[in-house]
Amino acid sequence: MADLLRQGKTSGREFVRSLVLFGVLCSAAFLLLIGRLYHLQVTLGHDYYEKSLNNFVKELKIPADRGLLLDRHGEVLADSRPSYDLYLTPYFCSKVCDEVVTRLSNDLSLGDEEQQHIRQKLRDSHGLSRFKPFLVKVDIGRDLVDVFAAHRTELDGLDLLPAPHRNYKRGTFAGHTLGYLSEVSESELSLLQEEGLDYHEGDYVGRRGIERAFESQLRGKDGAERVVVDAKGRMLGKTDLNAELIPEGERVRLPRPGNNLVLTLDAHLQQVAEQSFPGRAGAVVALDPRTGFVLVLMSKPEIDPNLLTGRVSKAELSAMAVDPLQPEIFRPLQQQYHPGSTFKVITALAALEKGTLTDRSHTFCNGGYRFANRTWRCWKPEGHGEVDLHKAIVHSCDTFFYWTAEHLGLDPLADMARALGLGKPTGLGIGSEVPGVIPDEAYHNRLTPGGYHPGNALNAAIGQGDVNVTPLQMAVLYAAIGNGGTVYRPQIVRRIDDPEGKTLKLFEPEVRGKLPVKAENLKRVVDGLKGVVNEPGGTAFLRRLPNIEVAGKTGTAQVIAMGAQRVKTEDLDYWHGDHAWFAAFAPADNPEIAVVVLNEHAGHGGVASEPTAMAVIQAYFEDKKAREAPAAPPPADPSKSSAPEAAPPPPADANPGPIPALKPKMGRLGRTVAGDRWS
Amino acid sequence: MELTARLGRGRRLLAHFDWYALLLTVSIAGLGVWNLMSASRTSHSNIWMSQLLWLGVGLACILALVFWDYRNLMSLSYPVYVAVLLLLVGVLVKGKTVLGARRWLDFGPIRLQPSELAKLGVILVLARYFHDRLPPKGGYRLRDLLIPFALILLPAAMVMKQPDLGTALIIAAVGFTVCVFGRIRPLLLIALALLGLSVTAVAWTHFLKGYQKKRVETFMNPEGDALGAGYHANQSMIAVGSGQLTGKGFGQGTQTQLSFLPEQHTDFIFSVWAEEHGFVMCVALILLYLGLILWCLSVAARARERFGTFCAVGVAGLFAWHVFINIGMVSGLLPVVGVTLPLMSYGGSSLLTVLLGVGLLINIDMRRTGF
Repeated sequence: MADLLRQGKTSGREFVRSLVLFGVLCSAAFLLLIGRLYHLQVTLGHDYYEKSLNNFVKELKIPADRGLLLDRHGEVLADSRPSYDLYLTPYFCSKVCDEVVTRLSNDLSLGDEEQQHIRQKLRDSHGLSRFKPFLVKVDIGRDLVDVFAAHRTELDGLDLLPAPHRNYKRGTFAGHTLGYLSEVSESELSLLQEEGLDYHEGDYVGRRGIERAFESQLRGKDGAERVVVDAKGRMLGKTDLNAELIPEGERVRLPRPGNNLVLTLDAHLQQVAEQSFPGRAGAVVALDPRTGFVLVLMSKPEIDPNLLTGRVSKAELSAMAVDPLQPEIFRPLQQQYHPGSTFKVITALAALEKGTLTDRSHTFCNGGYRFANRTWRCWKPEGHGEVDLHKAIVHSCDTFFYWTAEHLGLDPLADMARALGLGKPTGLGIGSEVPGVIPDEAYHNRLTPGGYHPGNALNAAIGQGDVNVTPLQMAVLYAAIGNGGTVYRPQIVRRIDDPEGKTLKLFEPEVRGKLPVKAENLKRVVDGLKGVVNEPGGTAFLRRLPNIEVAGKTGTAQVIAMGAQRVKTEDLDYWHGDHAWFAAFAPADNPEIAVVVLNEHAGHGGVASEPTAMAVIQAYFEDKKAREAPAAPPPADPSKSSAPEAAPPPPADANPGPIPALKPKMGRLGRTVAGDRWS
Repeated sequence: MELTARLGRGRRLLAHFDWYALLLTVSIAGLGVWNLMSASRTSHSNIWMSQLLWLGVGLACILALVFWDYRNLMSLSYPVYVAVLLLLVGVLVKGKTVLGARRWLDFGPIRLQPSELAKLGVILVLARYFHDRLPPKGGYRLRDLLIPFALILLPAAMVMKQPDLGTALIIAAVGFTVCVFGRIRPLLLIALALLGLSVTAVAWTHFLKGYQKKRVETFMNPEGDALGAGYHANQSMIAVGSGQLTGKGFGQGTQTQLSFLPEQHTDFIFSVWAEEHGFVMCVALILLYLGLILWCLSVAARARERFGTFCAVGVAGLFAWHVFINIGMVSGLLPVVGVTLPLMSYGGSSLLTVLLGVGLLINIDMRRTGF
């Protein structure tokens, strides 16, 4: 049979049915393919066409400039400076990657760690990722840009991409206040994108201060250039394809710079404050008492926003983290201190309003006050003698205020303190504020072992005990005392302007409250503050200014309990030194500037803090005069107006004897508060 | 006298030469070269010229071989098969590695891909086997099929080892198509189908390489990983779909010209065609393939003995599976496997294999009226 078939007639005949079936199945399968193609090319064809357009058009980011930060007189404090970031594309350096990295490391003086990081990145890149440039170094200096440009041919795969970098023109100047930027983290990125904001990997966001608080205003809108690329993202240059595939009008979308912020800050005053501040750590705040606008906001030790904006090395960061002075703390609003004697104005106001204190009230200071079976010491061991309110403020007599507090009680004191804005954030709105602590009876009942004791009121009356305030709060408070009782919300931004200069938003003064104080009572306290500076024997008399009547109050806040032993401030270890306060406003009537200076562990306020405040006040009025007389020579060189030279020589008739300001103010019973700085 | 007789026979042979089939083949191959001209514009290497050269070589082989009676091949089937196996062993031992797979053997200037020839080898050896063994009543039993299965799976496994999943699948698919065509008992057929499914499942869990699995997973959800494993499938669908009804025009396909498709001149050549020429020309091309396959089946029907029929069915199956899997893959209907589009994809071995197959069928057809 097989043989027959092999020799005989066509064998295929017996397979006809199978062959037809084969043909039918095959046709059906091909029909399926045709159906699929119809679906892709005809039904969905248009969508895929659009997709293919997006595929080959790549958008290159043109970064937008961030908005400028300007001081109240229009001086630019922060801008964007043209700069370059260095990228390496593994594919393009392929065989010479090793040499390129070596060369880069020399030119950029990269550390071992950074070098390892780059080499690891090169090793890790495979497939398409080899075409993706990665960042080697941000912000290449101008000189290096030239070097790389000259050796381009030897540095395969290297790209210098323009990237505007934030430039804080005065370096560490107002560092905490302005803030800085850093690269957005992955988790932040997803949050921002969830909110529908246009942030991308590698973008910078404001980290602190104004940069952070006004991020949405300062950030511009990135532009884009659309170019034709192949699947590897390689640009094809200016080929005819570019012209053919992207319509003329769609090739470039220009970036839109962010809005500019005009601050209330006065750059010159800030500079004077920073230069004349003698201490290692502390704060200076100056406000316009008529508006609450911030003129000076200084925190020391300073931070360098230029360094922190993407250029800080790990070593520098960790050095900052272990610095015992904690430069990262924005002291005017993020650190609370005992106000010391600067708090006495509140005690006075509270007692005057309550009626427990009048013009006729007086007591005798013999260097201490006997209460609850113990002696509460006045800072002046030999005593002040007969003291009334005015003298008590001028000489900062503790005894008088112990006596006042005993008759007043703690709660009225606390109420007055709160009315003046203490115990809660001021609402400056740039960075988190600590609220401070204003203890009342309920507070002590809750937290103090044994509950409230009248002794607590005595401690609070002189700004010790559990009373804690921030320098900014004190500035708002003294501004309110100076301006007749209006508590303003401090503000630091005056205007938001769009890039063309059109004002988008003007911030107006914002009243937070009126002091519940009779005008004559306020006047009594202000008269006392005038006396502090202007009457011989006043704790700030020695450094008063000629021609400008300043009202102010010194404060020397005890940091640790001294017990019975009296120790000279100079002998104490730095960390045990008292905090030196000076709070003032000028002119004493209708003040235009209120200044608070806090110098940590620096001793007496009249010595360590007052000169800075006086320098700022003097600079303010000199500048004002210069502006009002345009023909006059330009304002004096800032260094000329700094503290040492600005301070007037002591008047001839001054008592050359023991200078009160140099005497440490001890002898109070203080609760142990050594830990406060860290709380 | 001898000479005149031979010449006379030659004339008679040429009278039966199927010019229609040759024309069909050459026109598809011609479109293929034209298409490669477009696809090779970016790479600046004129691969279409090399393809043209191979086309010439292939056509010369067809014309030379028609004068040699294919029935000589019947006795040579097993030696050819063994030779192919040896080449495959050669590949595994000292093959040239390209893109992570050993598939090529270097013969001086020529690089050969033995796995392509293996397809023909398997068709020939199966044709010979089924020529010799007529099916018992009711169809082949399992024991009749053990040898053919072994003949299929041996080269398939070796190709799989290269690794070249696509070609291994094609070898298996074509081989089993020939077996099924030879009539298998229905129950056995069902059992085998079930077995095939379970083997697939086991292969999935145990033998497939990461990238192969990934490709299949990607196929289920190509958009999920647009820049990773889904890249091919995604870009390919964009290319095909964006061609729309009439295409973007020769040399105008952005997907093609901007090299969004890796392997666009080999496995993904159809996407170039689809993008630049559109749906209408895609249908035309598919109809050309269908015409070629139907011609193969007609050759099978006319063949004068089982060997010829099974050879023709094998070649028809080869075309059908290649075209279906390739276009199915390019259009996102099937997972991405490395299967070429016959006569269109760039590659000498592949083109030569297909042309030899066509030549074999022309040869068979010429000798249908026995002499």
